[in-house]
Amino acid sequence: MTVEERDWLVRLINHPPPGSKLAAAKEYGIDLTLLLGTLELTPTERLEQLQGAQSFCEELRRAMRNSR
Amino acid sequence: MNKFEAAVKALSEGDVEFVVIGGVAVTAHGSAHVTFDLDVCYHRSRENMQRLVNALAPYHPCLRGAPPDLAFHFDVPTVSRGLNFTLTTDLGDLDLLGEVQGIGFYPEALARSTTIELYGRPCSVLSLEGLIASKRAAGRTRDLVVIPELEALRELEILRSQRAATSTRTPDKEQGATATERDQGDRRR
Repeated sequence: MTVEERDWLVRLINHPPPGSKLAAAKEYGIDLTLLLGTLELTPTERLEQLQGAQSFCEELRRAMRNSR
Repeated sequence: MNKFEAAVKALSEGDVEFVVIGGVAVTAHGSAHVTFDLDVCYHRSRENMQRLVNALAPYHPCLRGAPPDLAFHFDVPTVSRGLNFTLTTDLGDLDLLGEVQGIGFYPEALARSTTIELYGRPCSVLSLEGLIASKRAAGRTRDLVVIPELEALRELEILRSQRAATSTRTPDKEQGATATERDQGDRRR
């Protein structure tokens, strides 16, 4: 993604056009700024990031179990 | 190699006809949601069920949440008698769906999929439109909460492609490179 495209995306996400699906998602409570990060990744990189989040959750669960 | 990669590799190298659906497909399209299992829709032909069994049997699939003493043999007769299976395997939790709500069987899922490169392999992944239809049809709270984000991603996909089309019509070399880059799967510079 070029700097220009990222800037365009940041503007769009921070100020979604009224009546758009982006505006509806923001209103619903979706943190659209998170999409900025994921859209810069390839699909494989997105799945690797997901796997990292899973590992973190599993580690957290293990720690919670051990602390009881 | 992570579990998703290993599962996609096992299915692809086993020539299994499948479409990635569910949370992993949602993530592949750019969602920030976290999921823990891989859901795939598989072709119900006898040949494909045999390939599916051959590909996954080495990873000890068993029914997730079933009593440990319940006999389960992951073979073609079992797969052909059932339709949807929620499994635990050495490659992580894996859901095999013969039919997807709001979409239909494998041919319909394939028709509504897009080819995305995952771990260096072309992979059929349910499109954003298909995911929205399946989530809406499933109708559970956990499905419905994802729809606004998917619709936002779909809108972004359309807007980005319109922007790319406009950019390629201009002689600006930098903008032209962006369109090519996007065709190659949004790879970062």
